[in-house]
Amino acid sequence: MKPIISLIIVGCVGLLVGCASVPPPELINARQAYQHASAGQAAQLVPAELHKAQEALAIAEKSFQDDPQSFRTRDLAYVADRKAKMAEAFATTAAGNAATAKANKDYQSTQTEIMKNTKQDLATQTEISKNTKEDLAASERSSAVKTEQLASEQRARLDAENRADVAQADLAKLAAVKDEARGLVITLSGSVLFASNKSELLSSARDRLNQVADALMETKERKLTVEGHTDSQGSSSYNQALSQRRADVVRSYIISRGYTSDLIEAHGIGKDRPIADNASAEGRANNRRVEIIVDHAPNYQQSMNK
Amino acid sequence: MRHLNVVMLAGSVLLAGVIAGCGSAPPVNKEASTSAIRAAEESGASNVPSASLYLQLAKEELENAKVLAAKDDKEQAESMLSRAQADGELAVALSHGDADKKEAIQAIERVRQLREDNKLPQKGSIL
Repeated sequence: MKPIISLIIVGCVGLLVGCASVPPPELINARQAYQHASAGQAAQLVPAELHKAQEALAIAEKSFQDDPQSFRTRDLAYVADRKAKMAEAFATTAAGNAATAKANKDYQSTQTEIMKNTKQDLATQTEISKNTKEDLAASERSSAVKTEQLASEQRARLDAENRADVAQADLAKLAAVKDEARGLVITLSGSVLFASNKSELLSSARDRLNQVADALMETKERKLTVEGHTDSQGSSSYNQALSQRRADVVRSYIISRGYTSDLIEAHGIGKDRPIADNASAEGRANNRRVEIIVDHAPNYQQSMNK
Repeated sequence: MRHLNVVMLAGSVLLAGVIAGCGSAPPVNKEASTSAIRAAEESGASNVPSASLYLQLAKEELENAKVLAAKDDKEQAESMLSRAQADGELAVALSHGDADKKEAIQAIERVRQLREDNKLPQKGSIL
């Protein structure tokens, strides 16, 4: 019986010793909380708070060594656990405050950036507007120049037309003038210009030709064709040669009065294009003639196009 | 006999003094714990999930301490009050941490919105 009682007593003592060495849950929690806090951002952001938690845990550990199962040990461990959690909470606050400060700073720098960009955009827009205005002004100047050119050309054209009308009126006083498809035909009587069978100009003819040439000078940019015509008397070859010489003489005379030689041609037509009946003396007199054809053509028009 | 009466009177006065002294022993100091609880309530801990738990614990521990004090277990009552104070202070810290974190998120969102409205590239967040 005695050995059994001794065994029970030893067992109870061992159980009591074992219980004494097991830390209370509050202390286990406090150790874990401190470990968690010290591994996080609390060590960097709030080291003083973490130090308080460490001190509280040390007091709890000391109490555990002195009196493992006392309510005081459990309460001290409980407080140490809360101190560790508070250190983490303060770290969260510090991180939040830092983030807020950085965000506020970012907000200000962003506003500065926006203002800078706005100024740049404004400067660009101003430059574009300036260029546009300059382009517009240049365009307006160019348009004014073109308008002036057109007006000038129109004035020149009207002037030329007026001069042509005046010349035509002058010519009508000096010779028969007829507007035909081939041009304005000025017909000078052969008897007025030349003696019979001759190709030298009569002195009396020079005044008439001077007046005709002066009138033609008003339209001196136009092409002229001088045609000599005869009646049907005599051979064709003779008449052809005579009419050519007479046309050449008239051409030379007009050139001597200042007309551009390149613009005047002379042709001997002979008796091939009578305008009256060669059977009568009057008809033959009408057929003996010199025609000066003023081209409708477009030398004048070409100059206008330029 | 008369001398005996005097001694008995003195003894009675002494006993009454001792009894009176025991009856007027200073109560447990609840000021720190009640202040912590009040601060937690004022910081809006009731509306912060993580803080409201600790506020509730602090209140319960304060009541436990009162019960212990009423049982003349002053030492355990004061120890219980230290729990209430710690929970109250933790509730305050968590409440502030939550508010500061929300403020930071709002500040960061304000920057993000400003940059988006003005077609600027976004920057990284530190939260």
